[in-house]
Amino acid sequence: MSENMGLAPPKNPPIRLTLEIVNTGFKQRVNELSGQNMDACYQCGNCSSGCPLAQEMDILPNRVIRLVQLGQNDDIINSETIWICASCFQCTVRCPKGIDIQAVMDALRQIAMDEGIDHFGPDQIDPELAASVPQPGLVGVYRKLAT
Amino acid sequence: MKRIGVFVCHCGINIAETVDVKRVAEESMKMDGVAYAQDYIYMCSEPGQTLVREKIVEEKLDAIIIAACSPNLHESTFRAAAEEAGLNPWQCEIANIREQCSWVHSDREKATSKAIHIVATIVQKTRLNESLEPIPVSITKKALVIGGGIAGIQASLDIADSGYKVILVEKDSSIGGHMAQLSETFPTLDCSQCILTPKMVAAGKHPNIELMTYSEIEEVSGYVGNFKVKIRRKASFVDWSKCNGCGLCMEKCPAKVSSAFDRELATHGAIYVPFPQAVPNKPVIDKDSCIYFKTGKCRLCEKVCEIGAINFEQEDQFVEEEVGAIIVATGFETLPVADLAEYGAGDVPDLIDGLAFERLLSASGPTVGEVRRPSDGKVPKEIVFVQCAGSRDPERYKPYCSKICCMYTTKHALLYKHRVHDGQPYIFYIDIRTGGKGYEEFYHNAEEEENIIYLRGKVAKIFRDGDKTVVWGTDTLTGRNIEIAADLVVLATAVVPKDSTAELVKKLRIQTGPNGFLAEAHPKLRPVESINSGFFLAGAAQGPKDIPETVAQASGAACKVISLFSRDHLEQDPAVAWVDEDLCGSCRICISVCPYDAREYDEEKEIVIVNEALCEGCGSCVAACACGATQQRNLSDSQIKSMVTASLGGV
Amino acid sequence: MAKIAYYPGCALNERSSHLDRSARDATVRLGFELDELDTWTCCGAVPPVSEERVMNLVAPSRILKDVRDSGRDILITICDFCYNTLKRTNFIIKSDEITRKRVNAFLADDTPERDYLEKDDSLWEDYAGEVNVIHLMEYLRDELGYEKITESLKRSLKGLKIAPYYGCVMLRPQNEIQLDNPENPSIIEDFITALDAKPVKYPYRTECCGSYLSVSSPDASTRLCYRILTSARNSGADAVVVSCPLCFYNLDSRQKAITEAYSDFKPVPIFYFTQLLSVALGVEYGRQGFEKHYVDVTPVLDKIGISTGKGGEE
Ligand SMILES: Cc1cc2nc3c(=O)[nH]c(=O)nc-3n(C[C@H](O)[C@H](O)[C@H](O)COP(=O)(O)OP(=O)(O)OC[C@H]3O[C@@H](n4cnc5c(N)ncnc54)[C@H](O)[C@@H]3O)c2cc1C
Ligand code: SF4
Ligand code: SF4
Ligand code: SF4
Ligand code: SF4
Repeated sequence: MSENMGLAPPKNPPIRLTLEIVNTGFKQRVNELSGQNMDACYQCGNCSSGCPLAQEMDILPNRVIRLVQLGQNDDIINSETIWICASCFQCTVRCPKGIDIQAVMDALRQIAMDEGIDHFGPDQIDPELAASVPQPGLVGVYRKLAT
Repeated sequence: MKRIGVFVCHCGINIAETVDVKRVAEESMKMDGVAYAQDYIYMCSEPGQTLVREKIVEEKLDAIIIAACSPNLHESTFRAAAEEAGLNPWQCEIANIREQCSWVHSDREKATSKAIHIVATIVQKTRLNESLEPIPVSITKKALVIGGGIAGIQASLDIADSGYKVILVEKDSSIGGHMAQLSETFPTLDCSQCILTPKMVAAGKHPNIELMTYSEIEEVSGYVGNFKVKIRRKASFVDWSKCNGCGLCMEKCPAKVSSAFDRELATHGAIYVPFPQAVPNKPVIDKDSCIYFKTGKCRLCEKVCEIGAINFEQEDQFVEEEVGAIIVATGFETLPVADLAEYGAGDVPDLIDGLAFERLLSASGPTVGEVRRPSDGKVPKEIVFVQCAGSRDPERYKPYCSKICCMYTTKHALLYKHRVHDGQPYIFYIDIRTGGKGYEEFYHNAEEEENIIYLRGKVAKIFRDGDKTVVWGTDTLTGRNIEIAADLVVLATAVVPKDSTAELVKKLRIQTGPNGFLAEAHPKLRPVESINSGFFLAGAAQGPKDIPETVAQASGAACKVISLFSRDHLEQDPAVAWVDEDLCGSCRICISVCPYDAREYDEEKEIVIVNEALCEGCGSCVAACACGATQQRNLSDSQIKSMVTASLGGV
Repeated sequence: MAKIAYYPGCALNERSSHLDRSARDATVRLGFELDELDTWTCCGAVPPVSEERVMNLVAPSRILKDVRDSGRDILITICDFCYNTLKRTNFIIKSDEITRKRVNAFLADDTPERDYLEKDDSLWEDYAGEVNVIHLMEYLRDELGYEKITESLKRSLKGLKIAPYYGCVMLRPQNEIQLDNPENPSIIEDFITALDAKPVKYPYRTECCGSYLSVSSPDASTRLCYRILTSARNSGADAVVVSCPLCFYNLDSRQKAITEAYSDFKPVPIFYFTQLLSVALGVEYGRQGFEKHYVDVTPVLDKIGISTGKGGEE
């Protein structure tokens, strides 16, 4: 079936899963970068339940992992979540399957940055803040959110 | 006059909250014949029973009434206590003031008054109770096991090993059941044949087991300890005593019949054994498919059989046997794919059920263990497994969880990955249920290591598109719908009772539950017995079960039978019907009303008598008897009259 | 006096130097000296996001290697971020041989005597994780012993109810940090008790304050800090004590934004653990840098009769 060119795309198109999508390498790349096994996640949701930043996220952490499992890179790379995660490791210490979700977030940030998506540039910082915040804040933010 | 003691139980707050138990005791004291009355918080507890026993002695009681819960629960407890204190057990009665009073009322005043009436009613009965002795019944120490799946095989072996004789009746030509169809078995992946066939052989050879395959139960009569069974031995058209299992006949048979054992994925001749490891390994002729039976010509098998074992004239035989206990192990079937309309109603070629997939995986299956799809024999690169196909769907299909499919689907996906390394399995599920030893670990391993994609959602529709089978599902975890154009789809269809079980239970007069599985006497405390004494249950016939559970239940049922056989005789409740020989006018109406076949005409005495061992004390004949010749022990007409009066408030 | 290798890190060296000062003052009174490394660089604040960013391990590894090369096997930090970064770097170096080799190759590469080394590599010894990275609080608990602090108290903090705030990286990830139970820690509570004050338990003590999001998503951090501080306050705390300069900054400075955003909010004074220690050991107030705090701490110290105005050594 071909897509109708004249119409706006549907809001929530189905994911057409194929062998290729599942095995494109996105999941494998995340596994490699994070040192984690995405397939180990059984979607209990514990990581989301306790995430202090969940209220700021567009996609909850467990769903991020889920989308990786299904090879949905675009959804994740364009999400707010990976930039909102504060690397607090709350999820990591609680995951019943021992997945370091924080490391997965790191991996996803890196993949996004490798694709040229930086989240935070020097021009975006409030100068007053820049002058007062302790250095770990500044160094941390650039290390985590920009190339 | 009898000295009756009344013991009123609080049942914690179960009774005491709604019924003024102290008042019930006080009022009881005023009733004619009551010499003693007392309330207590838990009458069934050790101190409660001690109180009852002590008072029987101290107060020189001739009979007691326990005003408490239903007699179903504790009648036997209190009768035993009474007997210990020297009373005849039938001088102990229960007044049910819980289920029939406190639990169903809220007005304390009225409930108390009703409880008093209930006690008064039972006092009237008790006053006229006779002391009775249980009726001894002999036991035929031989068991009948119906169904030769793993459940029936295990139960037969256990009973036979303890020295009792067993008749194992199987309706197919070989024992083995569904387990014989399986490839490898979760959670340890042992090959099913390797663990099953030795047991089949053992059952076939055991000196205490008489195998009757290709046979069905025709009629059952009698009662626990003494059943009479008529068995139909279906005509196989092969003289098994001659046949040496050479198989020439099967090679030559020109007919093509699709194999039920291979789930229609292969064919065999009209003369066949279902699978090569069959026990007994003897062929049968399927009369409906046999060319000779249809057209009158062929008889090729007869020509090739050098020893002349083929016998087209054979007819069904009937044998009668006497047994003391019956184990029902008739197993399960799965919901036909054709019943699932939204999944293609059976018209999608590359859509099969779990058992068919087992055959594809099996080394002795139609593809010798290679996974090839039915339509064109191609190796499927993408397989979708659909769980809960017909299960957990109270609106349209079956309300219950089929219990085994979560595990076998993961097993299927895993075995598929072992066969087709670059293949992609997807599993649609609602929940993954892995409540068994080592099961969760099995699932975790599959999920983590085998690249199986688990999708959380129920599949809505499946249809064919070109050579693909399209699945419309959803993944509630991402909130996105999922479409997969698969090469093969496998449905985990609901486990359902065997069709023939409905007919069988009628012959056995045992019960089934709302979904057609055999009903156990108590879901927790008596899971391997039927409500009707002498019948025991084993395996998937009682509800969906995997092999470990099936085997455990089969051994449990066998143990019950062995325990029954270890007794010299059985004791039957003597509160049954009896006939005043002088009054019986031989109208025989009682024979027609008795649901238990306990009434029979005695030619010599020329009256109708009661077979006490069969009588369940239902009272139908008493009511029907126009001459008043039939009475029931401890429920005589005069007892009933005074009970009715008392219950209405009179004395 | 025993000298222990000390890595102040950027924050304590500069913007939060008053916290560094209170640490040095206090430890001297406890009988040991924080011996700042001769040369050091920024540790990077966070470990690299993946194995591929091995370069990010070079700076912290060099710091650790220098400690080892100076013949010492313990390095103290007082900033949770430095602690986390250095300790986890050390963990990676110890447990991952390939990364260890790659990092050491970089380390050797930019060593001044490189040419010389190329001729005789026997003089080079790979850094293999020999140094033990220790948080000052950990040193006080395990090496010195909290009872030693109690014995040395010059001022009692009795009557103060203090809420410990752990934040995230001091305790997590637990398998690498192993300082305390990440869900139910007690190291700061016991520290507070050692100072004669009363620790207050509240549910938010290990919830993240927003960390570096303070820079990129300040509002998110404001919301988190509000929850933490309100929880501490509702549990009866007079003040909150922290062990990380970034937590300190977030919990203290953010109170301006919190006050603007939440009408029910009541400010809560924040202490760095070294400040409380230093005060209790009798160091003069003037050296604590309390004037740099956004929320005034005077009323709290007044409460137990230690008036900051009349500072000075006992
Ligand atoms: C696809 C699939 C895969 C499975 N995989 C596994 C697995 O990996 N591991 C595991 O533990 N379990 C597995 N199971 C479950 C397993 O098959 C059952 O637990 C087991 O077969 C139950 O044995 P049973 O003897 O109770 O019933 P059955 O195997 O159904 O045997 C019943 C027998 O009774 C006979 N019979 C029926 N009615 C009559 C009658 N009226 N008169 C005489 N004989 C009668 C039948 O012909 C049959 O031989 C699987 C099931 C399915 C459907
Ligand atoms: S806590 Fe772990 S297993 Fe649970 S959803 Fe999150 S990543 Fe998956
Ligand atoms: S590390 Fe990130 S995703 Fe995990 S709990 Fe903290 S903020 Fe949430
Ligand atoms: S066992 Fe699993 S697949 Fe089968 S009905 Fe139950 S939940 Fe559904
Ligand atoms: S009491 Fe019931 S079971 Fe007994 S003989 Fe009469 S009708 Fe039959």
